[in-house]
Amino acid sequence: MNPSEQELPYTRDIRSNAEDVALIRRMCDADETALGALYDRWMRSLHSLVVHLLKDPDEAEDVVEETFWQAWRKASSYEPSRGAVSTWLLTIGRRRALDRLRAKARRREDSLTREGWVLAEMPSNAPDPLQTTEGAERRRHVLAALRELPEEQREVLELGYFKGLTQPEIAEATGQPLGTVKTRMRLAMQKLREPLSMYRESAP
Amino acid sequence: MSHEEAYSELAAIALGAASTEVSAAVREHAAACPECGPELVAMEEAVAQLGQLVPSAVVNRGRAAGIRSRLVMRARGERETRSSAAPRARPDLARGVASLTGLGHKLTPESQRAVEAEIRKVAPQEKRRTFVSGPVLLALAASIAFVVVAVQLGRVMAERDALRAEVASGADTANAPGTTGGRRAENEALVAAMASPDVKIVPLASGNATRMGRMFWNPSSNDWTFVVYTMPPPKPGMTYQIWLVTDSTKISAGTFNPDQRGHAFMQAKYALDRDALKAVAVTEEPAGGMPAPTGPIVISGSATP
Repeated sequence: MNPSEQELPYTRDIRSNAEDVALIRRMCDADETALGALYDRWMRSLHSLVVHLLKDPDEAEDVVEETFWQAWRKASSYEPSRGAVSTWLLTIGRRRALDRLRAKARRREDSLTREGWVLAEMPSNAPDPLQTTEGAERRRHVLAALRELPEEQREVLELGYFKGLTQPEIAEATGQPLGTVKTRMRLAMQKLREPLSMYRESAP
Repeated sequence: MSHEEAYSELAAIALGAASTEVSAAVREHAAACPECGPELVAMEEAVAQLGQLVPSAVVNRGRAAGIRSRLVMRARGERETRSSAAPRARPDLARGVASLTGLGHKLTPESQRAVEAEIRKVAPQEKRRTFVSGPVLLALAASIAFVVVAVQLGRVMAERDALRAEVASGADTANAPGTTGGRRAENEALVAAMASPDVKIVPLASGNATRMGRMFWNPSSNDWTFVVYTMPPPKPGMTYQIWLVTDSTKISAGTFNPDQRGHAFMQAKYALDRDALKAVAVTEEPAGGMPAPTGPIVISGSATP
């Protein structure tokens, strides 16, 4: 491995939301060291998600920086009752990545398959070496929940989340009416909520 | 937007698959709706878990550290901008030098001016890279320390009494920020960052001879110490922004607003190849800073011979 690409000491294990909330509070008090600490905790997860969406490491780095800067500027707007810090942070980053993706009207070149890229690329017995046992277990659980969905519902979910397509674009890609796409997406989300609710972070 | 319309769009909002306009309308509704609000939060939490399935991307160590440094520097600059009207919370150059005297961190305006006069004498404005030797820095420190001692001598007893009172109160049992021990540790760290044999000094100047500053860079530890003085306040709505100039890019090193005396001080860590720095520049930019320089250079210095 190139020395410049050595792995950072960041992992993708499960972190305490209470610790994240404490960092946000320090950021509200203008403590820039808390921003650095939050970056250390979530940079890898955010970077991986954004790289996956944009397929461009340089642009992904811009988005990562923009995201953490927005987190610094908007720290006071974070409300623990509305979800975990990680959800807030990853949502900001993903939105920014999607904005860039859509501004450039880019499309993934790889063909869409009925199998879906997630199940094709992410077999449940392939643990991420950067995750702790707990993190790997969560990942397997999420993948299992996704597998439980009917194929047509899983497809719209994957196209929306992993490929960043809008509902009209999903309708075009699948050849389904927009109303059908909306219905499938809603049903998929409602079914996915329950098995994943165990991971919801409660505010301290 | 009706409740039914908003509810039907929640999944798309959580996935980021709706238009900006629809998303804004739904979120506005959800913020006040006892059914849609919790439902949207639950869906967004579920969506966030899908991120677990994204393969880990390779992270370039140096670039990731660079992003981190830039973020922290920008945040620090913004914090100092916000509090520029308030008393300084961080040590300034003179306070750091004052630690050499063992007299603590408080300087009178007279000693402050005397210290800065010494700095001006030993730091001419030639635009060249300077490798500072240990003896030179020791001489500088001793010279400045002498000035401080001369001005501060009458304060020794008061400082001692204040220190005793603080120790007696138990406030100095650790090097916590705000305690004498913490301040002393900060000052020692500051002097170390400026006095290491490996430190490069980039003099900063402009057409206006009164505007000047220094960037102290230790390539071994990646410590950066930026000092500038006699800077006029930026225009309303504007701020000053520091740039590290390399052959290929201009790296933002944070924003700052000088205090009422026209002084500013910033410290940060930023990894940069030993020979990469070509110049340091300060421009005037819109408040909050810009990703790339857009305004006029107000002060700059070359880092190459």
